[in-house]
Parts: sequence; C-alpha cells; structure tokens
Amino acid sequence: MTMTAVDGPWIVDLGAGAVPPQTDDVDLLGGKGAGLDRMLANGLNVPPAFVVTTALCRAYLSDGRIPQDLHPDIAAGVTRLEERAGKTFGKGPRPLLLSVRSGAPVSMPGMMDTVLNLGISADVADALYAETRDSRFVADVVGRFHRMYTDVVLGLQPDISEWAAEDVEDEAAAATRGSEIHRIVWTACQSALGHEEGITVPDDPRDQLVGAVEAVVRSWNNPRAITYRDHHKIPHDLGTAVVIQAMVFGNLGELSGTGVLFTRNPTDGSPEMYGEFLQGGQGEDVVSGTVDPEPLAKTQTRLPALVAELRDTGNQLERLYGDMMDIEFTVEQGQLFLLQVRAGKRTPQAAVRIAHDLHAGGTIGLGEALAKLDLDQLRQLARPSFDPVAQEVARRDGSLLATGVGASPGHISGKLVLDPDRAVELAGPQNPVILARTVTSPLDLHGMLASEGILTARGGATSHAAVVARAIGKACVVGCSALEVDGGSQELRVAGRVLRTGEEISLDGTTGEVFAGALPLTTETAVDGGLSALLDAGIDAAGVAILCRAATTAQIAEAVARGADGLTTSIEDVLAAKSLMGPVLGALALELGRQQPDLSRVVQHVRDATRPWLEAAASRPVHVRAIDLRSEHTASLLATQPTLADLPGLKTPLGRVELLRAQIEGLADAADAAGHGGDLCLAVRHVTDPREVDLLERLSAEFDNRVSVRPYADAPRALLLEPRPDAGGVFWLDFDAIQAAMFGILPTELETPEPLDTHVKAGLYRVDPRSGVDRSMSMLLDRLAVALPEGLGIVGVRFTSPASAVIVGDLYDRGVRAFSVNPPELLPLRLAVGQAATAPRDSATKGA
Amino acid sequence: MSGDAASAHLELDDVQFQVLNAICLKKMAATGEVADATGLSAPDVEAALQTLEGHGLVAAAASSWLPMNGAVPAVEAWAADAHGSLREDEGIEKLHDRFERINLAFLQAMSAWQQVPIGGKKVPNDHTDAEYDAKVIGEIAGLVARLGRILDRLAVHVPRVALYETRFGTALREIDAGNIDYVAKPTVQSVHNVWFEFHEDLLRILGRERRE
Repeated sequence: MTMTAVDGPWIVDLGAGAVPPQTDDVDLLGGKGAGLDRMLANGLNVPPAFVVTTALCRAYLSDGRIPQDLHPDIAAGVTRLEERAGKTFGKGPRPLLLSVRSGAPVSMPGMMDTVLNLGISADVADALYAETRDSRFVADVVGRFHRMYTDVVLGLQPDISEWAAEDVEDEAAAATRGSEIHRIVWTACQSALGHEEGITVPDDPRDQLVGAVEAVVRSWNNPRAITYRDHHKIPHDLGTAVVIQAMVFGNLGELSGTGVLFTRNPTDGSPEMYGEFLQGGQGEDVVSGTVDPEPLAKTQTRLPALVAELRDTGNQLERLYGDMMDIEFTVEQGQLFLLQVRAGKRTPQAAVRIAHDLHAGGTIGLGEALAKLDLDQLRQLARPSFDPVAQEVARRDGSLLATGVGASPGHISGKLVLDPDRAVELAGPQNPVILARTVTSPLDLHGMLASEGILTARGGATSHAAVVARAIGKACVVGCSALEVDGGSQELRVAGRVLRTGEEISLDGTTGEVFAGALPLTTETAVDGGLSALLDAGIDAAGVAILCRAATTAQIAEAVARGADGLTTSIEDVLAAKSLMGPVLGALALELGRQQPDLSRVVQHVRDATRPWLEAAASRPVHVRAIDLRSEHTASLLATQPTLADLPGLKTPLGRVELLRAQIEGLADAADAAGHGGDLCLAVRHVTDPREVDLLERLSAEFDNRVSVRPYADAPRALLLEPRPDAGGVFWLDFDAIQAAMFGILPTELETPEPLDTHVKAGLYRVDPRSGVDRSMSMLLDRLAVALPEGLGIVGVRFTSPASAVIVGDLYDRGVRAFSVNPPELLPLRLAVGQAATAPRDSATKGA
Repeated sequence: MSGDAASAHLELDDVQFQVLNAICLKKMAATGEVADATGLSAPDVEAALQTLEGHGLVAAAASSWLPMNGAVPAVEAWAADAHGSLREDEGIEKLHDRFERINLAFLQAMSAWQQVPIGGKKVPNDHTDAEYDAKVIGEIAGLVARLGRILDRLAVHVPRVALYETRFGTALREIDAGNIDYVAKPTVQSVHNVWFEFHEDLLRILGRERRE
C-alpha cells in the first residue's frame, strides 16, 4: 500500500467517475469510499453516496481548523444526492436520511464510527409517519439517531435506562402525528443529557450533518488513533475521508426487508449461497440478533424473484472481486440495495474449497487461488482430531458422559483433575490433564495453564473459563450441568457414575461432548477438498523439490502421502528408531581407541537400519545427515559411554574420519541391497573450510561416489564455500542455525513465540529472524549465488522452525529450488513455495 | 492442622488488607505485581507481606506469594466489617445492577474478540481483519469508559477502586500500540484480567457470590 498524501477535491460523488485520474482512490476516498465507488462504477445497486475526501482532512490538519468554505460544498453534495436518491433532505414527502461513516485508508481505533438516520426533524418525522403509519418505527428512528449522535459525535453515553423507559416508548407509540412522536422521544433523550451543560444534539438536519462530518475529521487526532499510527508507522498526514450515504429502509411495508448473505457456504465452502432475510426488518435487527431472520432457503419459496436477483448479484460480485463475498443488503419497496460488500470470512476448510472451486471454475488464476490461503490455515486443518469412527462408537457405547457448550475448539484426552494445584502437579508433556471445576475464577489460572482441556459445570460461552481457555488456546467445554464437581471428595459425579482424579476423559471443544476414556487421535482429517490439486499445481509451477524429514518407514509413507518429493533423515534417527544407536556407540567405544579400529559392526548396523528405510523411499531422492557427536541431542547419548568422551578426534568438527567412512559404506551397501535408484546424499555438519570439502570429496571417491558426500552448512562461514555441483548433489543450508548465528541467538529460539515476540514488539529488530531474511544472510547468499556456477539452483534449504511464507518467497526468488521441513510443516511449505512461484511479479515490488 | 499456632489472630490494617486482598484475587503474585495492583510502594508491600507471612496468611513460593487457607476468610471478614453499611445502601445496589448490565455487554465483546461468527458457526478470530478488530476494541474501550463512571461513584466509598481506572488505562494504551495480548490474555494485565479482578473485588465488597 502506498501511503503518500495526495491533493484533490474536497467532495467526490461516488460512482460518477469523479475521481481524478492518476490518483490512488483509496488514498483520496478512504477504504470504504473506494469500495463503494467501485461498486457504483460497476453498475451495482448501492444507495447513492458522496465522500468528503482525505484532502479536506489534510487541509484541516495543516490549518488546525475546518475550512468554512466546506459548508456550501457539502450542501451542494447533498443537493446532488437528493436528485440521485429521488428524496429530499430535511423534509417530506420522501425524506432523505443519511448515514455518516469515517473511512480512513487504514482502519484504526479511536476514530469516530457511524451515525445512522441523520437528517431527522419534526417535519421529517411527520413525513415518515405519513409513509409508514408506524409510530414505533418513527420513535425508533428518532431515538436511534439521538443516541448515536450523542455517543459518537458528542462522546457521551447517558444511562440508556433513563430515557428508554417504557413509558416514553408507550407514550410515543400512542401518538398519531410524527412531529408529536419526535417531540416526545427528543425531549426524553435531551433530558437524559441534561446534566451536561451546553451540549446538545442539533435540531436542524444541516447542522447535524456538518457536526457529524467535522466530528469524523477531528477524530483523526483522537489520542488513541495517534498512538495507533505511531506504532504502525502510518503517516499522520494521511487523513480520513467521510462517507455520506443515502439510507434505505427495510421496514417500509411488505415488499421490504433486510438480510445478509455469503455467496458460498462459509463453513464448508460448498458453492451454495448462504444467508438470512428478515422481511420488514432494518439492518441492525439482523446484525444485533434481536429478531430471528429466516434462512434464505426458506425465502426462496416465498420470494423466488428476490432470491434469483440475489444469486445473480452474488455471481456478478464474485466475478468482479474474484472471491467469496459477504453482502449486507436491504430491499426497499421491492428494490434491492447493497449496503456492504466485502470478502467473506470463512473457516480454513471452506477457504481451501473456495480457492479450489473459484480456480477450477475459471474465475481466478492459480496464483490468486494460492494467495487466498495462508500457512496457518493449513496448520489448523492438519491438527489432530478424534478419530470420527471411534467418536461415533463412544457416543453409542455409553462413554458419552454429558454434553455441555463447546466454548473453545480442540479434541483433547487427558487425566481428570478437579483442583488447579493438582493440575500443576500432575501435568507434563507426556501427561495431559483436563481440569474440571464447577466454575473457574482467576484463582484457577495456574491450573488452567497447566491443563490441556477445561471443563465446567456452570457458565456459558462468555464465562471466565470460556474467555480464558480461548485466550490461552485450550479446548474447553462449559455449562455441563449434568456434572457435579465435588471438590471435597475430589470426585466428578455424572449420571450415576463417579470419576476420580487421574481417570482418563476426553473433551470435544466444538460439540461440547465429554467422554469417559481416551479417544484415539488422527491427522487424517478432511485435508482435501481440492487442496492437493492446488498445491500440486503450485509446486509444478515452481519446479521445486520438497523434502520432508522422516525417520521411520511409516513416516515416509505419511510424508509421501502429503506430497513430499524426497526424504531427509539423520543416521542417528534411523539407528535410534531401530534401537541400534546404543550398539553403535558401544562399538565406537571399543574400537576407536585402537590403532587399527575395525568399524565393520558400525557399517553393519548402519546398513541394517537404513536398508528398510531406503526400500520405503523407493527411488525418491534421499538426503541423510551424518552422525553429529557435537550436537546437544547426542551429548546425553555420549554420557552413557564414558570412554567415548576422552577419545581423541571424536569431537573435532567432522568427527573421526573412520566413522564417516563407516556411514558411507553402510549407506552405499544398504542402497544397493534395497535397490534404491534415486539420488543418495550424505550431508556432513560443521563444514566451513574448502579443505574439509576436499576431504569429503576424497571420501566420496573412495566409495566410487555411490553416495554423494556433501557439506551441510550450519554456520555463516560455510556460505563462503564453493562446493562443486555434481549429479544429485545438493548443498544444504540449515537456515535456522545460520540465521540464529547471525543474530547471536539460539536456533531453538526461532521455534517459539518467546523470547523473540517481546523483543520484536519492542521494535528492537528491524527484521524478525523467524519471518524474514536478514541483510547479513542476504549478503552471503548473494555472494554464494555469484560463486556457484549454477547459482543457488544446487542449494537446498532446511527449516527446523515453522516455515515462513516471506522467507520461502525470498529464497525462491533467489533461485533456491529444494526445501526440507519437518512433517507438520509439509503442507504449509508446499503452499509457500506455490505462492512464491505464482505471485504476480510486478506488484511484488510495488510495496517495497 | 498444625497452623493454629502460626495463624495467631491478626487485626488487619488497611495496607495489610489491600495486600492480602490483592494476593487472594491473583492467587499467585510477586511483590511488584501487588504494588501495581494496590498503588502501594514496594517496601510497604514487602513489610505487609512479612507480617502476613508471620501470621501464616501468605507463603512465599519461588519469587511469588501464595494465599494460605486463612487468607480468604480474613479478607472476607475485613470487608464485611469495613463495607457492612455499603451493603445496605440502595445507591450501591443500583451501581451493582448497572455493573451487571455493562458486564454482560463486556463478556459479549470479549467473545466477539475471540470468536468470529461465520455462517452461524463461531470460529477463532485470527486477527487478520483490522476493521473488525478495531470495532471490537472500540466497543471494549467504550465499556471501560462506562465502567469508569461506576468506579468514580464507588471510589467515594472505597477509594482503592480508583486504581482500577489506572490499570485499565495502561492496558488500553498497550492495545492501541498494537499489543493485542492486552485484550484478553490471562498472563498479562489485560483488560479482561483487570475487569475480572474488579468483579471479584466488587463481589467481596458487597459480600456476594459469583454466578459463573
């Protein structure tokens, strides 16, 4: 987004092609104004509107006062609006009421929001009553305007109960003249304001409009908005626009109404229009949920023409915006008006299906489809959930203890605890607990933090337990009234059963079900809905090899099912999976102290462990990291073999050459035995010197290059290496290790929110090392790209931390064509690579 | 129980009450947190804590303090004694009713902050819609302002509640500076935490039980 101040007219009629050319319309009209302008320009039926532009706001900001020549301009704007709406402002027979909204190019807190029904007066009330014969409606319009003006423009919130007393309503409802209704409600409202001296809501509609417009403009310098702009580096001279729009009424008789719709189902993404309609209702009734509207499917049978028009409009909007849209609409005496149109919010599952369907239907290109998804949505989709078959069985076999209100999603099994202190004592990474309480309070917080799930007998979706559980991301079921939590006896009683601390239970934070026993989890969720097809297309476009870490044959199968092209592992992981790490260390302890060590047993163990693994890998490329006896993970293993610690050479950067030879030989033999035909590479850590690379090449040659032995760069110095490209060779970089070294922090700190969140929020890093490539890294990568004959095409990047779309995009743009991640990050990585490959090139540079 | 001797009767003074009340509300709090919540100086808090510890009402654990079994009854008794007359006051009763109404709206705003209704289903708010978030934050700030008027009236009788306004102000400034953890996160002094603490405190002042 460009954010430079622009000059321009103070008033722009929307939809009239009035935006000066060469002007960014969002900067001049604000987000809302630009959106309306686009809809009107495309012939969509939107109530007519004009905008007081950001240029006026900037004039106010530079002069310190609102230019008085604005008033005639506004008056002229209203006159043109009257013509377009076929109504008159401030009088009958068809009175024009206005909505006034702030519309900054960027939405921010503290800005004045919305005033509705502006333009009400005694005359207008007469005309409205004559048109509707509905005194409650007229009273409501008057009261609502007064309340909003008081709240939003004057910044006062008188106690509602003092003026909305039933006798005022009844008195107004009994009146049969609009001006009388106006007098009753207005007087009551004004008297509620009584204590505040000299502050009043203007009677004259023109004064109301000027007052509201000026309040919006002034709210730009509300202290909260200033704080927000300071923090988000939004220029203070950007200014806000004010949108002034004709109101339409859904309560003008039988042929009127109001509703909301999504052009597709926002829950599952299926291509059916989804929404609600309230005949004879106003917009706020639907939004506030005070009245129950009917589903559009029902409206279909009564008002087929309206639903058909909505469908056509929805299709038109989808083509125009290339997305699933959320539409607020009103029908005024048979005419459909769109009040607000924006991209519809959707569940991750729906997001996948919608992106796929819009692409398959030709509405959007592959790049746009991939851009509609984000990495976190795929992480959510892949989260483990109860096995659906087991859950269905549990519902029928008596395991279902009770059903409450699902307050925070998640499928959790764990040990029951009834006391927060016990939760803290018992909980551990391998020992999830579920805390059950009658209600919770801040006194339970430490227990809630320690638990994986929270269950209460009382309270609804806004109770303390619900709010806290959602804030800390724990599954939660509340209001399970069938439960009796007895803190004294530490028992949970439900339907004649008694459960005690330590017994397994399971919670479904969505359905609110509570089960006895642990339910099995699965990651085989509905990941598809077109996801594979989209990701495959993205990867095809990218020409990138996606590798995934897998230590066992089962993990290989899962990685392949999720789209891995190749596999990575380490010798110690494969040995450990076969319980062979101990014997290998034992053999090393025995042999390495001798003058002529015989490591044939190590060769044999490596061969035995990797053979089935390589069989499962079939002909896919395989990159195996050599044993690293310098890492933290192996330190505890070494401690089990005290004699190893003292062996000379074992802890040199490359370790003992005999051990490297044994691994190469074992791996090469296993590959032959397994008939593995793909690329096979042994990657060695802690290599930073060309002489070390020479050694690796000699070792590779000793075994006829059956295994390609390559450096695995994990330190900044390694980026100065210039390894020779050869068939199947990939020069792997451990991105986290190198980037962390650049910042002088631990690589594991890139995997967690803290401590870096606090540091980044404090504004002390120009680049968050978890979501950006730092300049220090860039410089070395640029140098490497020049030094290698094939550029970064032979470089592979491995992430231990969660994949970042920005980092992957940056590396892809530099020419990196191989990536490796841990299994949970496979889908997000594939999306990030597809997005990088299909992003529109020219706009990618615009915001820089 | 062997604590009888240790918890020899202590006549709480005002400072000791405030410190003990804060520890009971927070369950586990460091000296600095208690100082922030009471507006007392750290040395005063420390001194009160030593006395309370001596009487077995609080215990030190790591760098924090925990309330012992006698703590809640002690603050309840103190509040009953100090605020007994308030509990009969009709004006205070009205303030409480008004709080309940605002509280309902506040809880709904918290839900709206955490969960977005999508097609009749509530899904976690991923905070990618700045406009939606700004609207909810605006609502929350408005409700805090309305609560402020209750606090002003209540502070006439119970001066320490004025401190909640300061604490709300701090949380709201953090939110406006983009630190949205300060809306609902339970492990920082978020608006929800401060609100909930006030609710508990109000119930203690009025000698009532919370419903949910």
